[in-house]
Amino acid sequence: MPEAADFQRAFAAMLADPGGVADTALRRALTIHRNTATKAARDALFANFPVAAALVGQDAFAACASAYVAASPPCEARLCLYGDRFAAFVQGWDAFASAPYLGAVAAVERLVIEALFAADAPPLDPGALAQGLDPEAALCWHPATRTLATPFPAGSLWLAHQGDQGADELADALDSLVWQAESLLITRPADAVEVRVIDAPTRAFLAGTTLADAAMRAADAGGDVAPIFAALLGAGAFCAQHISQDIQGDRP
Amino acid sequence: MTMTAGLGFRLEHLEDALTAHEPGLWFEVHAENYMVAGGPRLRALLALAERCPISLHGVGLSLASVTPPEPEHLRRLRALVDRIGPAAVSDHLAWQTWEGAHHSDFLPFPRTRQALAITCDHVARVQEALGRAIMVENPSLYVDLPGHDMDEASFLTELAARTGCGLLVDVNNIHVSAANLGFSAEARIDAIPAEIVGEIHLAGHRADPASGLLIDSHDAPVGDPVWRLYQRLIARIGARPTLIERDDAIPPFAELMRERDRAHRLLVARGTVDA
Repeated sequence: MPEAADFQRAFAAMLADPGGVADTALRRALTIHRNTATKAARDALFANFPVAAALVGQDAFAACASAYVAASPPCEARLCLYGDRFAAFVQGWDAFASAPYLGAVAAVERLVIEALFAADAPPLDPGALAQGLDPEAALCWHPATRTLATPFPAGSLWLAHQGDQGADELADALDSLVWQAESLLITRPADAVEVRVIDAPTRAFLAGTTLADAAMRAADAGGDVAPIFAALLGAGAFCAQHISQDIQGDRP
Repeated sequence: MTMTAGLGFRLEHLEDALTAHEPGLWFEVHAENYMVAGGPRLRALLALAERCPISLHGVGLSLASVTPPEPEHLRRLRALVDRIGPAAVSDHLAWQTWEGAHHSDFLPFPRTRQALAITCDHVARVQEALGRAIMVENPSLYVDLPGHDMDEASFLTELAARTGCGLLVDVNNIHVSAANLGFSAEARIDAIPAEIVGEIHLAGHRADPASGLLIDSHDAPVGDPVWRLYQRLIARIGARPTLIERDDAIPPFAELMRERDRAHRLLVARGTVDA
């Protein structure tokens, strides 16, 4: 199919740089198509990274987002999932050098998006626990469960921006923020994604493969497994054991 | 209840949508926003689908691309169709993908006999994968490309004849394209065969100061010329499910419903709606 392919190859190349096209009518059309596509992808980044946008302001975020769209354009139609490399891009963006925590915040937001669209699974029923869990069985994580270690208080920064707080309340929350590294747990217990700052024993537990292994790791980190397990259960981190993650398939 | 006029479903209007009682109301979504593994947004759409007819409007099948629709994309779309049980499935007469990059807009192409064969093949593949017919929407045009073997109306009519697909007539896109390319919007409307039209889109547009062209922006109320073209169309072909399409600068739900009600009244006045 030579002619159609030739046309699409040439048109795609011109889309990358409409300014270089001599024909005025064609250049105008290419510019419109390019701007429309860039705007759609940029809007998706605003939607997927709202806290990062709030932290640097609309104009500064838009400039970074537009550059990301040019550098890493969408590879598929689902813009709701766009931005899987945006956190690293933000980390390296010169204009944000004085705000080195932004990449970490964007990384949190990426995991929030993954959690938002992850498969549904029945949560581990606390009632089923009365019958006992096999300590040697593999721990079954809910498909939305994610963890992240960040050198900045990115979880607390994210949490400070949730809810309908006013500018003063947000400023207070940011002022009282403790500037330290954080370990985070992202879950989706019901209809909303939740982000929690977790302690070292909980982070150690989460690295475990079976309940016995996780309990040992938590204890080695100085933690008490019973409250850790209860907290993770309440956060919706687990799914019912008779449904393994493998059946859910890959993340979206 | 037969579908009359509908709205694009916005998550921020979920409560309004779930409690709306208007007869004939239906909702449309961009399929790709819901082609995900799970989560609350998909559940919200499922809840809405229990109350109202839902139309899945694709923006990513790239039907006119030289490469066929992505198998993974078709698999996900089929999964969504199976979950929602939509009243309609549609996408666009355009291409978007080239060597792994996806362009989030609807790109034009010379309407050659080769392009027709390619598009027919792809529509057939999609219909096979979904187990149902789809509708194909006319896009907005911004330049008169050389090399056409046929006009857009003829291309779409032939596409429908060969594949059994239907047409989604976007009246705003006809108005925008006619203004940009200098052809008669009325003649374009009159060239659409009644029997293959399954749905109509109405939307707003704006002028681009840099080029002087009209842009299919979906960020404004439906303009008077578009209402006139719409009435011209349905006077001849009869009533069809009609969507008020607003994708940006979203007003309150009540304001969208007022626009929707205007289309609903026109459809009811025209006569029986074929859904």
